[in-house]
Amino acid sequence: MRIQHIRELYDYRNLIWVLAWVDFKQRYKNSVLGYFWSLLEPLLMLAVLYIVFSNLMKVQVEYYQLFLLQGIIMWSFFTRSTSASLLAIVGKPQLVKKVYFPRDILVISSCITALLMSIFESIVFLAFLLYFRLPLSLNIFYLPVILFLFFLIALGTSLVLAALNVYYRDIQYIWAVILQIGFFATPVVFPLSVFPQYLQQILSKNPIAQVIYLARDVTLYSKVPGLDQLAYVIFIAIVILGIGYAIFTRLEPRFAEEL
Amino acid sequence: MAVIEVEHLHKVFRIPHERRNTLFATLTGLLRPPVYETFHALKDISLSIEGGEMLGIIGQNGSGKSTLLKILARILVSTSGTVRIKKRITPFLELGVGFNQDFTAAENIRIYGIIMGLSPREIDDKMDFILEFADLQKFRDTKIRNFSSGMQVRLAFSTAIQTNPQILLLDEVLAVGDIDFQKKCYEVINTFKNEGVTIVFVSHDLAAIQQHCPRTLLLHHGEKVMVGDSEDVIAKYESIS
Repeated sequence: MRIQHIRELYDYRNLIWVLAWVDFKQRYKNSVLGYFWSLLEPLLMLAVLYIVFSNLMKVQVEYYQLFLLQGIIMWSFFTRSTSASLLAIVGKPQLVKKVYFPRDILVISSCITALLMSIFESIVFLAFLLYFRLPLSLNIFYLPVILFLFFLIALGTSLVLAALNVYYRDIQYIWAVILQIGFFATPVVFPLSVFPQYLQQILSKNPIAQVIYLARDVTLYSKVPGLDQLAYVIFIAIVILGIGYAIFTRLEPRFAEEL
Repeated sequence: MAVIEVEHLHKVFRIPHERRNTLFATLTGLLRPPVYETFHALKDISLSIEGGEMLGIIGQNGSGKSTLLKILARILVSTSGTVRIKKRITPFLELGVGFNQDFTAAENIRIYGIIMGLSPREIDDKMDFILEFADLQKFRDTKIRNFSSGMQVRLAFSTAIQTNPQILLLDEVLAVGDIDFQKKCYEVINTFKNEGVTIVFVSHDLAAIQQHCPRTLLLHHGEKVMVGDSEDVIAKYESIS
C-alpha cells in the first residue's frame, strides 16, 4: 500500500463511511428490538458461557465475568468483520460492475461496520466495569493502540478472504469452520493455561490470542503491556496487512469480470 | 485538445467451458487443464475524443459498446493497448446503483450522491432541487420500496446530474422513463454540452444520436467500422445490419 493509495482512500472517506453506516443501520432496520439486539446478544452469550464455564468446568480466573465479556466482544469483532468481508465484493455486484472506486473500500467499510457494532456492544462492558467497581489504571490508554492493531489484523485477513471468495465461493464455508476452531484456540472463554504445555506453546503464537491478552492486561489487570508481546502483534499486523494488500491488488482488476 | 485517447485497444474475455468457482472444483480439476473459449470483445480500437464534443457510439448487441465504456470508466481492465484520459470521468452506466429499498428517498439521495462523488454538503444543498427535478417532493420520506421503477430512475438521474461532470459516459440510461422525463433529460444533456462537458453517448435510438451527436462511432463484432459524420455512420450501420 503506497502513500498515493492512502491519499485516494482519504478522497473517498465519505463513501467508506456511508457504506459502513448503511450496513450498520440496515442490520437493525427490520427487527423489533432494533439496536437493543446488539446489547442483548453479547449478554445472552455471556450468561450461557458464564454458567457453563464457571460452574461446570470451574474456570478459576479473577474477574471472570469481565474476562469473558471482553473476550466475547473482541472475538465477535473478528468473526463479524471477516465474515462480512467475505461477501463485501460478491454481495455487491452492482457496485463493482457499474461504478469505479478502489475496491478495498468495500472491505474497509465492512470492517468498520463490524467495529461500530463492537463499539455499541462495549456499552454493556462499560456498565459491567462500573458495576464491579473495577480499579482502572492509566495503562488503559494502551487499549486504543491495541484495538487499532487488532483492526489492522482483521482488515488484512478480510482483504485476503474477500478477494479469494470472488474466485472460490467455498472459501466462505471453509472460513466458518476455521472460525469455529479459532474460537477454542483463542482465550475467549478460558485462559490458554487450561491446555497442556506443548499446546500452549503453539497457541500462544496466535496473534489474536496475544491481542486479547494484551487488551485484558491493560483493562482488567492494570498491567503494562509486555513489550515483546506488543512488538509481536505490531509485526504480525504489518505482515498480515501487507499480504492482504498484495493478494487483493493482484486479484482486483478482474473482479468486475468474475462477478 | 483530445481528452480521451485510445490506442490499439484490445479486450479479450476468457470464458471457461466449465466454471470452476470453488476451491474444491479447482483442486479436483487440477489434473485436467481448464478449457477456455476466448471472446475478442474489442479488436484494435483507436479513437480520440475532443474536449467538449458529444460522440455517439452505435452497433448491434455484443458489438463491444458497453465494454468500451467500462474500460474508459476503469471498471474493466484492457488486455492490451493504452487509454489516456485527461479529465475527471463520470460514468452513468446504470442509474440507481447502490439504491437501497429499505431506505427513504432522501436517504437514498445521500447514499447515491456519495457513490457518484458528491460531498455530503453539496447533497444537502441540492436535496430540495433534486426532489423537485424528479417530481418527488411529496415522497421525500417514503421508502423507495414503494416507488415504481420509473420513479426510482427519476430519483437516480436527478441525483446523478448534480455531479458536475467533465466527461460523461452515458450507456442507454435514458431509454427508461416516460416521454416528459426523457425530454427533461435531453435538456440537461444539452446544458452540459453548452457548458463544454465531453459526452460519450451509447444508444440504439438512432434518431437521438443523429439529433445530438455530430460525430458517431460504429462498432461491429468488436471492430471499429467507421467514425465520422453521424448521418454517414448511421447509413453504414443500416447497410450492414
